[in-house]
Amino acid sequence: MQLGFLVDLHLCMGCKGCEIACKVENEVPLSTWRLRVKYVDVGTFPETKRTFTPLRCNHCENAPCERICPVSALHYLDNGIVNIDKERCIGCAGCVMACPYGAIYIDPQTQTADKCTYCAHRVASSMMPACVVACPVQANIFGDLDDPKSNISKYIMKNQGGVQVRKPEKGTNPHHFYVGGGNVNLNPLASHRIDGHSLFNKITTLPVGGHH
Amino acid sequence: MATHEILAATNAVVTLDVALPGIVWPWLVTVNMWAKSIGTGVIFMLFLLIKKYPNQVGNLRFQVTVVSIVFIHIFLLFTLADLHQPFRMWHIFFYPHFTSAITVGAWMATAFVGLLFLLAFFSFVKKNDLAFDKTLAWVVALAIPVTLYTAGLMSQCTARELWQMPTESAQMIFAALLSGSAFMILVFGNKLDWEANKSLSRILALSAFMSFILYMSEYVFGPMKAEEVAAVLEYIKGDGEYTVMFWIGQWMAYLLPMLLIVLSRVNKSEAILKLAAILALAGLWIVKHVWLMIPQLLPMS
Repeated sequence: MQLGFLVDLHLCMGCKGCEIACKVENEVPLSTWRLRVKYVDVGTFPETKRTFTPLRCNHCENAPCERICPVSALHYLDNGIVNIDKERCIGCAGCVMACPYGAIYIDPQTQTADKCTYCAHRVASSMMPACVVACPVQANIFGDLDDPKSNISKYIMKNQGGVQVRKPEKGTNPHHFYVGGGNVNLNPLASHRIDGHSLFNKITTLPVGGHH
Repeated sequence: MATHEILAATNAVVTLDVALPGIVWPWLVTVNMWAKSIGTGVIFMLFLLIKKYPNQVGNLRFQVTVVSIVFIHIFLLFTLADLHQPFRMWHIFFYPHFTSAITVGAWMATAFVGLLFLLAFFSFVKKNDLAFDKTLAWVVALAIPVTLYTAGLMSQCTARELWQMPTESAQMIFAALLSGSAFMILVFGNKLDWEANKSLSRILALSAFMSFILYMSEYVFGPMKAEEVAAVLEYIKGDGEYTVMFWIGQWMAYLLPMLLIVLSRVNKSEAILKLAAILALAGLWIVKHVWLMIPQLLPMS
């Protein structure tokens, strides 16, 4: 079994329902996100549009975070999920530095690394991840990539030419796919980050570690 | 930031994304690298002096060993201080994951500390120079991977395209040679004759020269190999956040020491040599800090 995720960006409307569901399900502390939706505005007025891209851990086949973790706190489950054992984590932040997707953070409450686990605890009970359940338009498709009859495999088959991953050049082989995305959605260097253009300007951040 | 080829056409602006996670490895990691360079560098220099100027070494065996022990402990202390869960450090020894350069480094550094104490035992308690010199050869052999493992760690940070193993390995070795020779000139230079000081200054100048060439090679040619490297190097170019600090570091660590060493040789001045050593040691911290910070400024998402 190899679990994977696919987000159909044609369907995503940026409601952030997945983000909130994830926060609630996993008790993600203030100022940190396991899953977040990035908005990028494209074009020049009046020819403009807003794109939405949910970003979470890619559960890579060749995960740099797993490789760099000195104590195997980050480890693979049999179903392909890259899971994290917060009791074992020493908080070296190597994984945060190694992840090319910025998907790992230091939890300010536990002072350990944390990230999306595809809701491994729910999956173990044969439930779908919280974000999948919350999505009102079924933009999140989750399932077994090894099973050709699973929804995700069928979706990938149907959209062969349009299936993308983030930063394929990194050689991480992500198990998280996007359909309908472009460079603007998936490449952080393809968009400007201009001060004052963020919809949320005053984000409360909790201190991490005491020396940052 | 480097202009992406489609930026002009799309005028794409991020209007909502919570930047994760900012500076993750702060100045504590800079101190870690800097102290380790000195800790292993002085051992390299002691080995050289024993081989080239055995009659001048005398008490330096014990004194240099103490210096190395102190700086390796500074390195270990700051490594520990940088952990968010420092009291779980023992996990590295009981749940080791040997694909990680952190694990390999921690184990090697521990063995290195053990050998340093053995050296101290031979030089201070046993007063046995022969046993010391024989053990030192093994310590030098271990000091090389201890110096290099941070380069391996940086190269495992695949998100930070700027840090590549071949260049970082060379930088780590040159940093150890530079800081080791500078520290020896500064603290023990008075106990050595002019010829020995000249040898140390030659190492200092050459390692400064080679390091400078490596940095300039990245500076000029780095942007040609990857878009992310180009974007990172923008932070030390033009009005980038770290431009001033980068050039202060390059001048202090490399250019001025090289010039001062030439001047000291012409004038046979140990005072100028010591000034070069001070600048090199202080400049090295700045150079390392800039190189550590800039890739962390780049948004990963």
